Amino acid sequence: MRVVIAEDAAMMREGLVRLLTDRGFEVCAAVADAETLRSAVAAFEPDVAVVDIRMPPTHTDEGLRAAIDVRRDHPGVGVLVFSQYVETRYATRLLADRPTGVGYLLKDRVADVADFVDALTRVASGGTALDPEVVGHLMRAGRDTVGLASLTAREREVLSLMAEGRSNAGIAAALVITPGVVEKHVANIFAKLGLPPSEGDNRRVLAVLRHLGT
Amino acid sequence: MTALRAPFTIPALRQAVFCVIGVVSAVAILAAPALVPALGALVLWATGGTSRQLAPAVAPLFLVLFPLTVALLVVLAAPIGRAAGNVHRRLAYRLLGVRVDAPPPRPSNRIGALVADGPGWRAVGYGLLKVPLAVPQGYGAFCYLFGVVDLSYPLWWPLFRNHPPGTRLGPVWALTPFGPLGARTFAGTFLISAAGLAMLLVAPWLMRAGTAADLAAMRWLLGPRRLAERVRELQASRARAIDDAATMMRRLERDLHDGAQVRLATLAMNLGMATEKLGAEGPPPDLAQARELVALAHRGAKEALVDLRDLVRGIHPPVLDNGLGDALATLATGSAVPVGTTVDLPERPAPAIETIAYFCAAELLANATKHSRASRVDLGVAGSGERLRLTVVDDGVGGADPEGPGLTGLTRRIAVVDGRMRVHSPAGGPTRVEIDLPTHA
Repeated sequence: MRVVIAEDAAMMREGLVRLLTDRGFEVCAAVADAETLRSAVAAFEPDVAVVDIRMPPTHTDEGLRAAIDVRRDHPGVGVLVFSQYVETRYATRLLADRPTGVGYLLKDRVADVADFVDALTRVASGGTALDPEVVGHLMRAGRDTVGLASLTAREREVLSLMAEGRSNAGIAAALVITPGVVEKHVANIFAKLGLPPSEGDNRRVLAVLRHLGT
Repeated sequence: MTALRAPFTIPALRQAVFCVIGVVSAVAILAAPALVPALGALVLWATGGTSRQLAPAVAPLFLVLFPLTVALLVVLAAPIGRAAGNVHRRLAYRLLGVRVDAPPPRPSNRIGALVADGPGWRAVGYGLLKVPLAVPQGYGAFCYLFGVVDLSYPLWWPLFRNHPPGTRLGPVWALTPFGPLGARTFAGTFLISAAGLAMLLVAPWLMRAGTAADLAAMRWLLGPRRLAERVRELQASRARAIDDAATMMRRLERDLHDGAQVRLATLAMNLGMATEKLGAEGPPPDLAQARELVALAHRGAKEALVDLRDLVRGIHPPVLDNGLGDALATLATGSAVPVGTTVDLPERPAPAIETIAYFCAAELLANATKHSRASRVDLGVAGSGERLRLTVVDDGVGGADPEGPGLTGLTRRIAVVDGRMRVHSPAGGPTRVEIDLPTHA
């Protein structure tokens, strides 16, 4: 899988290159600012781009804006936005047009290499990876709505993992339950929230996020 | 009884001294306008304008020099007013025991600031007002001094009027506010003496009225700016304080984001990779790489610690808790240039003041190290009562610009607590920066 990395802190950038190369990714380019990212994506058409939000010259949200541009101009390129803090508003902007091939993770997540690589792979193949932190915000914001309040604790856990973009198998592994049980929970959640049953992880995530108000 | 005793008290004597000085100043002030024509005449004389044969250059020269003289007076009026105002405030404190606060100092010594110096011109206004104010003062002082003299006439009479009977002499004159009074006989001196007593009794009240009016004028014209201006000043300094605090928080966030946070994230990543290389159980699949990654993580952890320590010191150096002396000594040992420190503080200033003084010292020391090519810097802190003075002197090349971004930043910072900074840094050095702070904000 081919990756472009945009990260201004040299230390972090080199670490990511090393980690991803080690895991069998092909790092086409590792750049330090949003402008170079745009041209690198245009030049290499990678499967996925890892993008830091704060980059030169203004150190505000140029990474996020570049990520949105990349998603618009290169629909085939997955974008994993990668930041030291997560803002629900940023997630909303990122997911605005379509929640596919997109991810938004805290940089801390890189410490769990397997999870990180899993999320990156998911994004590269058109899936979603939302940071648990963002999902947590959304869940808290919606906790008083009738639908969420009627869920059991277990169902809420399953809902969170769904919103993060995980597949049934991923949810089963995370909660140490069988995929069959997960399926049952998912069906219950959709029924309680009044969502139409959706096939496929992506449409499911979309439904869940819509419900959570993203 | 009080009225009878009033003339014979120390305060009355001091008031009399104040009034006499007041009259002298008023005369000097009245003489000042004569300075312009006098200088003009001097110029005229110096250029030969008074000789019979007018040199052709005289008229244009005079036309240039005379306005120049006037311009010089305009430029000098405010500083002279300020200086004279200082003298009068000090006199009021010494002689009358009344403290009139000093106005804020001139922002700089440039010509523009000299001419546009509000407090300086108000002091000039006080000088002009001094002329009418000196009238009751002079009257009071006159009554006081000549009251004593007149009162003592009967004592002197026998000393000077011991001529043989039949000698005809002119009358002895005494000065009273109602005109001169003459006495030809010993009994007549008692009339003078009575007039003297009356003058002496009236004098303290006259002087008191004169000094009270003078003090009111001082508070009005020599004191700190009027309330509205002070409020504006405080508003500006409050806005600056809020800005500075916000800037500081932003800088802190940036430093953490770009420093320790990145290091720790990278460290976590390296440890995560190392964990994978070590495998879950059994013999590690890739021990060599794991070792390398752990070593990398170890180095990263140490760097993160250094980063955090620097950051913490930047927020509030812990040694400052032990007092400014220890903090400055630590600062001095960390400097590339040899630094001498002298700290003489009778009591500890408020923590906020200590922090400001510390950061000013740190900044000035950094400036000296960076720009002055100094071979030695001296840091001094001296406290006296309610003020504290930080002095930073280096033997470098000088030329520090008080209007530059670094020093204006400091000025802004200390202005929040009504601190003042004076920079003396001629080209070629040495540089001396003095910062005056209140000990309690």
